[in-house]
Amino acid sequence: MIRVAILLAAVAANGGAAVRYIGCPVYRDTDNGRKSGCWLVEDEASGVRYDVTAAPTKPDWNHAVLVEGVQSAAAGDPCGGTVLEPARVSVLEEGCTRHMLAAEGYQGRRFALPERNVRPLYEERKRPDRPFADGRFTIPFDYQSRFITYQLSDYYLDATINYALDVQPAGIEVTGFADVRKVEVSGRTIAEPASLARERAELVRNALIMRGIAADRITVRVGRGGAPFVPAAFDGLAAPAARRVDIRIVPELSEARRGTP
Amino acid sequence: MRGRTILGAAIALFAGAVAWGQGATPPDRWWNPDEGRTFPATLDYADATGTLRLLLDNGPMETKGHPFFTALGPNGRACVTCHQPADAMSLSAASVAAQWAKNGAKDPLFAAGDGSNCPSLPQEERASHSLLIDHGLIRIARPWPPKNVTPDFRLEVVRDPSTCNLDPKHGLASSQPHISVFRRPRPVANFKYIEAMGFAYDPKAGMPLPLDPETGKPVSGNLMADGRVPSLTAQMRDAAGTHLAFLKNMDAADIARVLDFERRLYVAQQTDRLGGALDGDGAKGGPRLLQVSAPGRLGSQGTPVWSEFEAWEKAAPAVKAGWTPEVRAFRASVARGARVFREKTFLISDTAGINSPIGFGNPVRNSCVFCHNMSYMGMDVAPGQVDLGTTNKPFADPLAHLPLFRVTCTGRPHPHYGRTILTHDPGYALTTGRCADVGRITLQTLRGLSGRAPYFSNGSAKDLRGVVDYYERRYNIGYTEQEKQDLVNLMRAL
Ligand code: HEC
Ligand code: HEC
Repeated sequence: MIRVAILLAAVAANGGAAVRYIGCPVYRDTDNGRKSGCWLVEDEASGVRYDVTAAPTKPDWNHAVLVEGVQSAAAGDPCGGTVLEPARVSVLEEGCTRHMLAAEGYQGRRFALPERNVRPLYEERKRPDRPFADGRFTIPFDYQSRFITYQLSDYYLDATINYALDVQPAGIEVTGFADVRKVEVSGRTIAEPASLARERAELVRNALIMRGIAADRITVRVGRGGAPFVPAAFDGLAAPAARRVDIRIVPELSEARRGTP
Repeated sequence: MRGRTILGAAIALFAGAVAWGQGATPPDRWWNPDEGRTFPATLDYADATGTLRLLLDNGPMETKGHPFFTALGPNGRACVTCHQPADAMSLSAASVAAQWAKNGAKDPLFAAGDGSNCPSLPQEERASHSLLIDHGLIRIARPWPPKNVTPDFRLEVVRDPSTCNLDPKHGLASSQPHISVFRRPRPVANFKYIEAMGFAYDPKAGMPLPLDPETGKPVSGNLMADGRVPSLTAQMRDAAGTHLAFLKNMDAADIARVLDFERRLYVAQQTDRLGGALDGDGAKGGPRLLQVSAPGRLGSQGTPVWSEFEAWEKAAPAVKAGWTPEVRAFRASVARGARVFREKTFLISDTAGINSPIGFGNPVRNSCVFCHNMSYMGMDVAPGQVDLGTTNKPFADPLAHLPLFRVTCTGRPHPHYGRTILTHDPGYALTTGRCADVGRITLQTLRGLSGRAPYFSNGSAKDLRGVVDYYERRYNIGYTEQEKQDLVNLMRAL
């Protein structure tokens, strides 16, 4: 609770107002090269049409979305909506009538490779220095989801796995979190099922095993509340931080000693 | 003048590379099992638009007794029966029709098991082999439900002109229930690329690359239309057991020899009858580049896909002046086609594997290269199971000759189709048992296309223009006539 308050305060200090609402997405067909289309979602309560294109997960025009973000005055108006950045979008099962707007003179945004992207296997990667420190990682999730989001969660998952591989042998604690608090959002009561916390943690455990980590090195837990190990994974947004997996990687002491000159 | 020389050289090369003595008749294009030919290091065949070239690393190779070229089982077929060198190691419908005209039902290609619409049909009749003869399609029988999987959908037969899905012995209601779908043979070459792992993850699944249960090691996930086998070794067993009716397992030595052959073989178009040498004047078409390049690279982060033909765009006026008008026009068109492939964007929608579950959005604006993203090869660097709509209604063209199934999702509805899907081939869903995967088909390589029409896994595009026309209908792209022709010219040059 306190953590949430602090993050919100931080957001306010940056100037933008934080929003969280559910709405139907509309696609604006701007054409500025690949992936340059715009996503707009109106908040029924305020009548404001927000531009949520900055979210790592983009909407599906047949489904409602949960929008979480902060208004960004600096971002201009490339799409015809108040820009939310940072922003998160979660695609919900609830249906929407699909609708597409013409560009109407808006430019959209030219695609640039997001900073959080997984590097290819053929690229040399920097190994951690010895002695190996405890590693703390966080993998964010969309609301109601245990899918590893492309160019967000996969980046953090890859960092986790690479560290785990580099510092073996190590004990690995995987803790799953779900946002089980019931809250009112746009006239709906939403909450994640408690079981999702474990499912998220099991998913990360499986991913670690698939990449070659021995199963008996990994312990899985369910957590509640608290601050994420890596707040940067949420770009300062409070609510998404409740949907995550935290991983602690503890290199074996003997290994750490061996690494000390 | 210069163009003439190129064309002249290409023809001479073609004649030379086949390496049959002066005056002798060239051997049949068709490779029968157990012929004992030598597979040369360079093997050229004339195809619909020019010359196709196969390169065998460290060739030549004797095929006598080689398991890829030997009839291992009782039906008289070898792997080469359906993976013909002259057809870019696939099998063109034209070659099938020629075999039928020549040998009729007694040719091992038409073996009852999968070379006919259904084994229960009278095998002497042409109509019983119509899917193979007219469309180049092999019957693929998959157990339903799949082993060790509880599907989240039901399958019913809506209609089946092949008869096999309703057949009391082979059908979905038989004592060993199987679903029969009909698919094109995939080219057996360029595996350096098909097996390559560019990234450690499958972004379409949000998980690390799948593991081969046999080795515990990750695999590219790019084999077979439905991704049912993780590795070439597993594929070989599957093929020997089904296509060759070879009930023993292939032994380790045979497997090693086939693997070795598969991994040494490269295929691509080498010359074009209008454009001359595809590696002429600085261009890099043809299989040589495939032999020496690194696989599994994303074109967007390295060598742009089909930049092989950039040199033709950039050639100095003096160089271009040496080309005949025909050569010049063709080369300009291919270079433009490469740009259209990469740069002309359109809205991709309701395409599982792209618009769901990965968060690109539905729709997303992108070009051909979005899915066909691997440098030199034009397949997907990630495991490429994507629902293009080629097998699912309403996107699939009317295909009256194919079986049609009704899929009813019993768990969550499909993200784009809802609860009910009409499909000619559930594709990847036959492997995973998930209704969200119905119609997802693994992207193929785009090399040697001229030698192996028709296209798409179900053969629904009869030529390259048919491919472009399908995309135009599917995504309402708005290509100009020129752009369509440029894409066709590009593809015939691959
Ligand atoms: C009766 C025709 C036939 C015969 C004989 C045959 N194949 Fe195939 N092959 C196919 C078809 C059809 C496919 C595509 C199947 C699919 O996508 O489900 C295929 C696919 C393949 C693939 C997958 C290529 C890719 O990129 O996905 C390989 C490898 C292969 N065959 C190797 C072999 C080998 C080795 C043999 C001999 C042991 C063999 N085939 C015999 C018809 C045949
Ligand atoms: C949304 C992803 C996607 C996009 C975009 C895309 N393709 Fe494909 N392509 C596929 C898939 C999946 C297949 C396999 C489908 C099948 O066999 O039924 C395929 C197959 C093909 C084939 C058939 C290859 C063969 O061996 O039969 C050709 C040719 C092709 N695509 C060309 C193109 C061209 C040209 C464009 C641009 C107009 C394009 N593709 C855009 C996904 C895509």
